[in-house]
Amino acid sequence: MKRSSIALAAAMALLTVAGGFAADRQKLVWLQWANDGAQKNLDAIIAAFEAKYPIDIELEFKPGSAEGENLVKTRIAANDMPDLLSFNSGSLFQVLNLEKNFVDLSNEKLASRLVDSFKSTVSVSGKGVYGIPYQPIPAGGILYNKKVYAQLGLKVPKTWKAFIANCEKIKAAGKVAVIASYKDDWTAQLLLLADFYNVNVANPKFAQDYTANKAKYASTPAALRGFEKIQEVFTKGFTNKEPVSITYDMAQAMLASGEGAHYPMATWVLTSINQNYPDKINDIGFFALPGDSADKNGVTLWMPNNISISKTSKHIDAAKQFLDFFVSPEGLAAYMSVSTPDGAFAIKGVKLPDNVFPAVKDILVYVDANKTAPALEFLSPVKGPNLPQICVEAGLALKTPAACAVEYDRDVEKQAKQLMLPGW
Amino acid sequence: MKRKILRVMVEVIAVALALAIFGIPLSYVVTNAGKTSVEAAQMSIAPAAETRYIKNFSEVLATSNHMLLRAFLNSTIITVVSIAMLIGVSSMAGFVMERRKSRAISWINFLVLAGLMIPPAVVPTIWVLKSIGLYKTMLGLELIEAALAFPFSVLLYRGYLGAIPRELDEASFIDGCSGLDLFVKVIFPLMKPVSATIAIITSISVFNDFVNPLYFLPGAKNVTVQLTLYNYISQYLNKWNLLFADILLISIPPLIFFIVFNKKIVSGMVAGAVKS
Repeated sequence: MKRSSIALAAAMALLTVAGGFAADRQKLVWLQWANDGAQKNLDAIIAAFEAKYPIDIELEFKPGSAEGENLVKTRIAANDMPDLLSFNSGSLFQVLNLEKNFVDLSNEKLASRLVDSFKSTVSVSGKGVYGIPYQPIPAGGILYNKKVYAQLGLKVPKTWKAFIANCEKIKAAGKVAVIASYKDDWTAQLLLLADFYNVNVANPKFAQDYTANKAKYASTPAALRGFEKIQEVFTKGFTNKEPVSITYDMAQAMLASGEGAHYPMATWVLTSINQNYPDKINDIGFFALPGDSADKNGVTLWMPNNISISKTSKHIDAAKQFLDFFVSPEGLAAYMSVSTPDGAFAIKGVKLPDNVFPAVKDILVYVDANKTAPALEFLSPVKGPNLPQICVEAGLALKTPAACAVEYDRDVEKQAKQLMLPGW
Repeated sequence: MKRKILRVMVEVIAVALALAIFGIPLSYVVTNAGKTSVEAAQMSIAPAAETRYIKNFSEVLATSNHMLLRAFLNSTIITVVSIAMLIGVSSMAGFVMERRKSRAISWINFLVLAGLMIPPAVVPTIWVLKSIGLYKTMLGLELIEAALAFPFSVLLYRGYLGAIPRELDEASFIDGCSGLDLFVKVIFPLMKPVSATIAIITSISVFNDFVNPLYFLPGAKNVTVQLTLYNYISQYLNKWNLLFADILLISIPPLIFFIVFNKKIVSGMVAGAVKS
């Protein structure tokens, strides 16, 4: 304790020395992901904010992988968090001991602007709001090439049967019906994860029972469907040749060029497609992962990452001002002045411009009809670390879907025990 | 005659293999560094439709307010200073440990070996650095880099010193050298080959270090060369062409270093291996 107070004093002394040069402008340090797709949009918000308030924002970058997570945990343990942090929402964020390390924003005016489903991913068992949405809401489902659909006269499928029928026609036309990019193994999970809306419709208590160790993937037919779907597209020959040598980037090229018709993915890929194939972005559409019934068709939403304020910050009020500006109409206008967002914002009363990507418009149809469900990882802290590999096994038919489900249930068990959840 | 043909064939195959193993990845990096982001995303070894090295290099240099230039400066300073500290300290330690025989030395020897075997812990190290005010400073990182390479360097120095006869020490004392004179004027110059080896091996590992700067030297202005690579990759968006261009740029200094000192490395590595 004594040592840490000495360290704090030393750090403060350093800070005051450093602050002496900045005159009357305060400085906030923001620990941010390197190479974020929307960095230019965020820079626009920062510029607008700096022009309005006597506060400067300095970016410090962290890697996006597990290395970045470790870095954040290390700096929390070393009592050395910058003022602002961008981080994943949901189960990953919960691990950081929010009540102890981050500032609760639930009494601030900005909290009333946030959508409730987002708030639940940045709170501790329903209490407090520890972050603001940092990006538009990503949606998971099937991205498809509209030109291929127009050429073959296909309609957007609402059931899995219709989807398979479409795939047959695309295959007959000599194209790849479903793009599989298993070299980046995380992409293999999307068919399963985006299927959660259908699981939730069939079994609304699944997430709850799953957390309490009462429901399993292997014993819940609706949940097992996810693994079955991953395998079915392979065994019926809809996927491209050699899925394990195709990367996420190559898959985007196939989708954009129309060589492949469907890509099970979430909408965060749109920024990347727009970077590399700006003339093709309008050919890309989106539909929700089809379930078994046409009138119960809806989309699985991921929750946006968040920005939070560290409790060790010396400028908590300035940081609050920044977050308030970030979610204000003025801040969002600055964001949208650079490029159109690749999804809806988790902020109330925001109107998206008319020139958003067509795929985003497709999502808004589901959102406006309230046919959405959050992905399982935002409803339950239980997510096994080996899901990508297990999905690849299912996707290459190395194991039966049932065997994959059993394997994943076992994988999850270790993690649930580590979190010391009741019932495990 | 047959034997000779066989030998030539084996040699040709070996050279071809070496070229394939080292040349293909390198040519992959070189060709992709000159492509557009669209072409590079296809991950192919085919030559670029139109090469744009200058454009990519200047884009890499301009990223985040010329971060790379600052990174080069930082990495160079860190490498030079930590090598200087390392050689100064570990050569003296190696000398004393080799020449003096006492019980304390065997304990110190054990501690040095422990330094080789026990992995460093990050968080306690940060506490220590903070408590002495060296956290987030270049000096702090330089000390860490020197400390991490210390045990291995001491071992190398000890091995080499074993080949330098004790009679030399005695003769110097008779001629009126003090202990310090002996080390500075006689022993240290004799250890040049092994000092060169240590300088080369560690400077490359320090220059290319990623993990230690990431944890011990955070801050926008404290970036080192390896950290700049993260400007171009993330989970959902990659700029492979710029990544490869950055790799090319940051591997130039170690490459030059290696080419210039190549001979010294080999001679230093075997120095002290055979005692006469």
